[in-house]
Amino acid sequence: MAVKKEDKFPVARRYQIADVQVSREATAVKPQVVVNLIKKAKHPVLITGGQLLKDEKLVEIAVKFYEKGIPIIATGGSSKPLIEKGVKPHSVVFTLHQVTQFLLDEEWKGFDEKGNYDLVLFMGFLPYYLSRMLSALKHFSKITTVALEEFYQPHAKFSFTNLTANKDMYYSMLEEIVNNL
Amino acid sequence: MAFELREGIFAIDEMRNVSIKIGKVIEEAEEWAEEMGPTPKPGIIELRKWDMKLLERYEPFYAPVQDFCNLCTMGPCDLSQNKKGACGIDLKTAKARLVTIACCIGAASHGGHARHLLDHLIEELGEDYPIDLGGNVNVEAPIIRTVVGIRPRTLGDLREAMEWAEKELMRVLHATHIGNEESYLDYESKAMHISMVDHVVMEIADIAQIVAYNMPKAEPNVPLTDTGFGIVDKNKPVIVVVGHNVLYSKPILDYLEEMGRLDDFEIAGLCCTAHDMTRVSGGRAKIFGPISYQLRVIRSGIPDVMISDEQCIRADLLQACKAMGIPLIATSDAAARGLPDASDWPVEKIVNALISGELPGVFLPVPEKVGQVAPLVAEAIFKKHGGNRKYRFFANDEELWNEINKCTQCMSCVFTCPHNLRIDQGMAHAQKTKDLSKLAKLEEQCIACGKCEQACPKNIKIINVIMASNFDRLYNKKGKMRVGRGPIQDTEIRNVGQPIVMGQIPGVIAAVGCVNYPDEAKSLREILEEFVKRRYIVVTSGCHAMTLGMITDEEGQTLYEKTPGDFDAGGLANVGSCVANSHIAGAAIKIANIFAMRPLRGNYAEIADYVLNRVGAVGFSWGPYSHKAAAIATGFNRLGVPVVVGPHGAKYRRAYLGKYFKKEKWWVYDIKTRSKVPIEPAPDALLVAVETKEEAIVQLARLCIRPNDTSLGRQIKLTHYLELSQKYLGKLPDDWHLFVRSEADLPLKMKDELLHILESEYGWKIDWDKKKILEGPIRKYDAGFNPTIVEEVYEKYAGEKPPQ
Repeated sequence: MAVKKEDKFPVARRYQIADVQVSREATAVKPQVVVNLIKKAKHPVLITGGQLLKDEKLVEIAVKFYEKGIPIIATGGSSKPLIEKGVKPHSVVFTLHQVTQFLLDEEWKGFDEKGNYDLVLFMGFLPYYLSRMLSALKHFSKITTVALEEFYQPHAKFSFTNLTANKDMYYSMLEEIVNNL
Repeated sequence: MAFELREGIFAIDEMRNVSIKIGKVIEEAEEWAEEMGPTPKPGIIELRKWDMKLLERYEPFYAPVQDFCNLCTMGPCDLSQNKKGACGIDLKTAKARLVTIACCIGAASHGGHARHLLDHLIEELGEDYPIDLGGNVNVEAPIIRTVVGIRPRTLGDLREAMEWAEKELMRVLHATHIGNEESYLDYESKAMHISMVDHVVMEIADIAQIVAYNMPKAEPNVPLTDTGFGIVDKNKPVIVVVGHNVLYSKPILDYLEEMGRLDDFEIAGLCCTAHDMTRVSGGRAKIFGPISYQLRVIRSGIPDVMISDEQCIRADLLQACKAMGIPLIATSDAAARGLPDASDWPVEKIVNALISGELPGVFLPVPEKVGQVAPLVAEAIFKKHGGNRKYRFFANDEELWNEINKCTQCMSCVFTCPHNLRIDQGMAHAQKTKDLSKLAKLEEQCIACGKCEQACPKNIKIINVIMASNFDRLYNKKGKMRVGRGPIQDTEIRNVGQPIVMGQIPGVIAAVGCVNYPDEAKSLREILEEFVKRRYIVVTSGCHAMTLGMITDEEGQTLYEKTPGDFDAGGLANVGSCVANSHIAGAAIKIANIFAMRPLRGNYAEIADYVLNRVGAVGFSWGPYSHKAAAIATGFNRLGVPVVVGPHGAKYRRAYLGKYFKKEKWWVYDIKTRSKVPIEPAPDALLVAVETKEEAIVQLARLCIRPNDTSLGRQIKLTHYLELSQKYLGKLPDDWHLFVRSEADLPLKMKDELLHILESEYGWKIDWDKKKILEGPIRKYDAGFNPTIVEEVYEKYAGEKPPQ
C-alpha cells in the first residue's frame, strides 16, 4: 500500500542504534494508515507479547482490538490478562518464535484454519526479540507486518515512530486505531 | 627376562643406527567388552544422515541481524530477501555459515582450554596419570566413549580424543571458507558436528582438571561456598581472578597454602575460574559473581590485583583496571592484552613494575610465577591504602549527583543498551526528586556492558551512577552456592534412569549459560524453583549456577540452601564451570547406557535417537550470549535434547522449530509392531527463544514430553504442563490434546473435564460408561512401544529392513 507523505512520520530512531541494514527500513506511519491497512486486509491478526504483563493499558487496547473483530494470538504469557477480560485468543502456548516460523510457511492455514494471515500486527514485545522475528518475516515472506510498539522497529513493513519519550502519545495513537476500526 | 615397554624412541645397545619407536602401549587385553559401533571418530559426513533427520523435522529458522555479507573482497553484498551475493551464497545459507563459525569459535575455546590443561597436566603428572572419578563412576567419559569410541583410562588417553577433535575443527572451519557449501542444511549439519566436538573437548577439560586437581568427584554433598560482594573481607589484600582456566589461578592458592598465609588474603573470582577455584580449594576461595560483575568489581576499587585468563572477559579489562590503579596480570596466550611478556623476568622485577605503576600490567603465562607474584602485588598495594580503598564508584555523593545532573534525557543510552533500559527516566526522576530508587532498580537488570557510556554525549559515568545508586544492596550482597560436583554418579543414574525414561520423573531441566537475562536475575530462581518444587531434576552450571547462588529469598537463603545437590527428583545439582556442562550431556548418555544397556562405543546416532525419543531433558539458557553457549546448545540439539533460550537467544539468528501442522513429519518406526507410526509432536522444537519467565516455565514443561512416556509418565507430565499453562497462560494449552494417547494419559484430577473437552471441542468419541477414549488420538498407547527414527537402529533390533 502506498503511503502519502503526510501520513509518514519523520525518519525514526531505530530501537538499537547498531541495527544497520542495507535493505528497506520500515515506513513510520500514523494511526490512520494502520486503520486502512487493517480494513483492506483479508486475514489480519494481532500478536501480543509479554510486555502486556507489565502494562495494563496495552491489555486494554488489545481487548478493544478483539472487540473490533481482530483475532489475537497471545504469546509470552499475555494470554492471562486478556482471558481475564474476556478475550479468547487463537493461541496461547506458542512463542512468537514458533508463531513466526508458522507464518513463514505458506502452507500454514493459521490457527483458525482460514489460511495464512496477510497482515500481522505486533504489540507488547521486548524490542530486540521482536526485531529478529520481523527480520525473518521481512526476508523470507510476503506478509505485511506492522509494529505497534513504543520503539520504532526497522524490520517491519510499517511501524510506529519512536514514542519512547512520550508514552501518552503512544497510547493515544493505539486508541486512535481501535476507535476507527 | 622381562621388558617394561614405554612410549618413546630407544637405541639398542651395540646395535648402531638401530632404534625402536614405540608409539602407544596397550597395557592389557582390551577389557571393554562393547563392540565398536558404526561411527567412531566420525568425520563431517558420518552423522550427516542423523542431522538431516533432525533438520527435516526441526526446520532451521533464520532471523538475520544483518542482511549483508562483508567477509570477502567481492562484497559487501546485499543478501536481503534471500538474494545471492557475489560468491553465490544466499541469505539463509550465509546465516547458517555464520552460526557454524560461531559454533567453531565456541568449540575452539573449550578445545584450546582443554588442550592447554591437558598438555600442562601431562607434563606435570605424566601420561599414565589415571582417570579416577571415584567409586561411583564406572562409566567415565560417556561422551568420549560415544563419539570417539575410546575408553580413556589415563590423561594420555585423552590426547587421542583431543587430536580427533582438533582435526574436526579444522575440517569444519575449512567448510566455512568462501565457495564451499550451498545448502544451509549442510551448514547446520556442520554446526551440529562441531558442537558435538565441543561436548567432547569440554569433557576432556573437566575430567583432566578433576583428576589432576582432585576436584569433587561426582559428590552430591559438596560444601556451600560464599558468593557476592559482601563476602569479601575488605581488610585483607584482595586477589581477584577472572575467566575460565583455573590453571593460572590455582598456583596462587598453592603458594599461599605452602607459605601458611592463605588466611591473610581474600581470593575471589568472577565467572568460571571462580567456579573452579572453589572446586580445587574445597570452598576456601570465594565467588564475587558471574561475568557481568566485572565492571562492578573493578570500579568498586575492591581488587588489589586482577588476574585474567581467557574467554568472556572484557576486551577493555586493562583499561578498566588502569583507570582504577589496579595492576593486571594477564596469563592466557588467548588474551595477552598488548602487555609485555614477563615470563623470563625475576619475580621481584615483575612485582616492582606493577606496584610502582611503571607498568599497568604484565603478560605472565607461567602459572607458578603467577602464584608468587599475585599475593606479593596484592599485599604491597593493600599496604599503600591500608584497607581504605579510594573508590566506591564515586569518592563522595557530590560527585555522584554532579554526574546525574549532567543528563539531558537525550536517550542515546537507551538506544544502545542491549535491554533498552530506561536510564533517562531513572536520571530524570533522581534530578527531580533526589530519589535514586529508579536508578537502583536498573542495577538488578544491568549487565554492565558499558555501551551506554560510549554513547553518552555528556560522558556521564552511567555504570557508576547505576551501581552507586544501589550501593548498599550491591556492596552487602551475600549468598551461597554449592560447589561444582562434577559428573553424575552411575548409582544416581540407576535410581533415576527408569523414572525419567518412563516419565514418572517429569523431566530434567538443565539451566546453563551466561548472564544476558531479559529481566532481573531473580527471575532465574523463580523459574527453577517452580521445577524443584514439582520434583523435576534441576541441574545447573556456569554463570547460571553462580547467579542462583546470589539470589536470596525472604529468609535470606539461596535455592542451594533449600535443596539437596543430588541428581534426583527435587534436587538442584551444580556440576561446575562451563566445561562441566559435559556431565549434563553425559548424564543423558549414561541413562541410555546404564538403564537401557545401549552400547556407547562409537554409537552416537543410536544414543541420540534414544535420548530424543525417551529422555525428557531440556536445556535452559535464560541469558545466553557467548559463542560457547551457541556450541553447547547446538551440541545438546544433536544429542536430541531441546534447548529453551531467553529472548536475547534469538540473536543467535538460528533456531530449530518444528511445525505441529506438518503431520507427515511426526513419525517413528516402532520396533515392537514393525511399523511406521505417526506420533505426537514431542518435543516440537530443538531450539526456541521465549520472551518472559512465564513463557519459559510453560515451554520447559512442554518440551519434557517424549513419545516413549508410559501412561503414568505422560499423565504426570501433562499434569504439570496443564497446571502451569493454567497458572501462567490463563487456560489449558492449545495443543494438550495432541499428547493424549488414551484416557490413562489424562491428569486424574481433571479427567472428566478433559474428556468432555475432547468430545465437545475436538470431536473425539468417548465411551462414557467406561470413561474410555474410543476415537481421536494420533496413536494409541502401547506399553511395548519402541520408537526410533534411525533405519540402522531399527534394523539392528528388529532384524529386518524398516517398513516404508
